[in-house]
Amino acid sequence: MEEIKGAIALIGYGLAAIGPGIGIGIVVGNAIQAMARQPEAAGMARTTMFLGIAFTEALALIGFVLFFIA
Amino acid sequence: MDVLILASESCDPATEIICAPDNVIELFEFTESLFSIGPLNFTKTVVLTFLAMFIVLALLYMGFRKRSVVPSKFGVAMESVVSFVRDDVAKGTIGPEGPRYAPYLLSIFMFILVANLFELTPGINFPLTSRMAIPLMLAVFTWLIFVIVGFSKNGLHYLFDIVWPKSVPLALRWLVGLIELVSVFVLRPITLAVRLFANLVAGHLMLTLLLGSGWIFFAAVGDIGARSIIVLPWFLFGLGIFVFEFVVAVLQAYIFTLLSAVYIQTSVHPEH
Repeated sequence: MEEIKGAIALIGYGLAAIGPGIGIGIVVGNAIQAMARQPEAAGMARTTMFLGIAFTEALALIGFVLFFIA
Repeated sequence: MDVLILASESCDPATEIICAPDNVIELFEFTESLFSIGPLNFTKTVVLTFLAMFIVLALLYMGFRKRSVVPSKFGVAMESVVSFVRDDVAKGTIGPEGPRYAPYLLSIFMFILVANLFELTPGINFPLTSRMAIPLMLAVFTWLIFVIVGFSKNGLHYLFDIVWPKSVPLALRWLVGLIELVSVFVLRPITLAVRLFANLVAGHLMLTLLLGSGWIFFAAVGDIGARSIIVLPWFLFGLGIFVFEFVVAVLQAYIFTLLSAVYIQTSVHPEH
């Protein structure tokens, strides 16, 4: 097999961004649904949404850092 | 027009990346020290750290200098920041014991906010938290606090509950315990630091690339021709990113504070 050249880390980062992209979409979508259904609980839903985003986003960010390390 | 020519002179066509702006490399190199007092070297990062500290102190001092029945507008603004951290973040997540940890959370929030906003400050344009040392140090503080609080409130039960969680079926308990052990003591501080670091590095790189390359395109377009139709929206898009980066800077400070509070909460009430 011929040697692969170029920035392979870029592909790695792209792969690492797929999962968190879907995950953040699910988190935010469900948080909006919760806020629409129970507007009085919007504050709690927003805080939890940010927490969920932060945990999900971590995977993509680790990929981003590995892109620089690799 | 002189400024444009100066901008184009700083790029070297012989390098592989044509006209890489200086700022891109700035994040990944050790900058030379500006001045030194005795054995202490003061680099740009160190100077900016002290600057951020003094700005936070000055903001809080100016906000709460005079105690009066009707506070000034600035005082009201600072009060809303303090009450947001104390009531919403500390009391909201930790519970009735929250105000005990509010001073730490407030100082970490203010420091990260000021350090992040250096990214957008004209003349500085350098997010302090994009140096790994600073978010890592802040994460280590949070780690020390939640570990010490966990052990002092619950004794060895704190460690035992993590390694041997009662709510999990017996067959899987050792595996979940192992994952939890690594996740609590290793991954928590690392992800806390990396989240802040990577967000700010990404934002800084995006701003630098868009504005820097837009600026160099401006310089490269000799006459106002067809190419400037492409360049102008590119440059304006870079300016639009400023607003987005402001939101990211505030949000990351909030998330760091919120996650610190959540981690402390899991130590105060480990059964949840």
